[in-house]
Amino acid sequence: MSTVTSIGGIPYYILEFGDELVYFTPYTITLFLLALTFTILVIISRPEQQVDVAFGGDAYRTKEISLSEMRFRRFMAIACGLASMGAMVTGDIFNFTLFTAMVGITNVGIVAAVKSPHVQDAAYQYGLVALAATVPLFAGAAVYAAATGSLSMIELMKGTVPAVPLIAKAMLVIGVIGEGMAPFYAAKAEMFRAPGAPYVIMCSLSSLLIFLRVVEVVMLG
Amino acid sequence: MWGQYNVGLLVVLISGVIGFLALAIETDDLHRLLLLDLVEITTLGVIALLGTDLAEALVLPGLTVGIAELLALSQIYITKEGLKERPVTGLNIEVIQKADAPMIISVFLVVYGLLLSGFTGGGVAGLGLVFYFMSRGYKEDLNMLEMASGISWAIWIFAFFVFMFLPQYWFIALMGAAVGIVLKVTVKMSLVGTMWGEHRD
Repeated sequence: MSTVTSIGGIPYYILEFGDELVYFTPYTITLFLLALTFTILVIISRPEQQVDVAFGGDAYRTKEISLSEMRFRRFMAIACGLASMGAMVTGDIFNFTLFTAMVGITNVGIVAAVKSPHVQDAAYQYGLVALAATVPLFAGAAVYAAATGSLSMIELMKGTVPAVPLIAKAMLVIGVIGEGMAPFYAAKAEMFRAPGAPYVIMCSLSSLLIFLRVVEVVMLG
Repeated sequence: MWGQYNVGLLVVLISGVIGFLALAIETDDLHRLLLLDLVEITTLGVIALLGTDLAEALVLPGLTVGIAELLALSQIYITKEGLKERPVTGLNIEVIQKADAPMIISVFLVVYGLLLSGFTGGGVAGLGLVFYFMSRGYKEDLNMLEMASGISWAIWIFAFFVFMFLPQYWFIALMGAAVGIVLKVTVKMSLVGTMWGEHRD
């Protein structure tokens, strides 16, 4: 157990605000800075325009995307970045699951404004999976609280609370996977047909970050 | 106590499995969305089994996230299926439209809700307003209601800041938060109840 207590490194800074808890370890601060950098990139960058090329000929056409659609997607991408940042630094299991669920919604939102039937259908199917994944996600957090009596990651780190049952960890990981990680990427790949480079990248980046964080979370208790 | 918790957990998880089975069999997109909403309730069941104040505080965000995802997905479904014209003009029942009963029931619910205050009161009062709007059909401009919702939310947040930084004035903060949330939930619920008939250009 002593080896896993310092899984993310010794916390530099712990902000306790009532029940709410935020802490920075070398591991989480790296992920936080990555999320911050990409959110700033999304804010300042200009979106790309997709070009369709017909093979076998020299015909090509540019896809027209309206300004309001781009604005909406930029807003969703920024919201996704903020949710990822929150998930990186939070020290509360339930808040982590809430941020993860929010990343799931905003991932759908980033592509939902696209006027393409393929993309919308993919977004809808992915949204159904994300909605179903909140069941194991929140249930996992609830079993964490039931077994240890605490949702604080700092308490879990100290090792003073009872051990977390494997089923709770498994449910948490399954929930995170359902919110857009590895096996369900198949649905997301269709969503990436959506034009608008910097915003769509936020979908994959946020998934990657959440996955890196949940690895730390399940190794704590 | 642990025995009860385990039995409760088992029952909730079995109902969750039944929900997921139904989900696996169903192929219609809209029905799958409705079934998912049903499955979501088992999540709230697992959280509520904790049976503490903490559980009550966790059920609310869980419910909110579920509703947010449901609203987002229904919006995508509407766009995906190309459903544009949805003329809904309340309950087209002559007895309800002409009679005084809806008015009396609504007033009763709103007054009772205001007395209850807080989330529950907001829910009850909102239900009264929804019922009134549904039975009469509405023609009002919703911008005013949206503004009232925003202002009451600001009152609620302001009350929380008083709790945190000026705890000696807790009573006024409590009153502010109670009034803010009752207005906020009432207005939000009446908006949810009436916005489906709206045509936005």
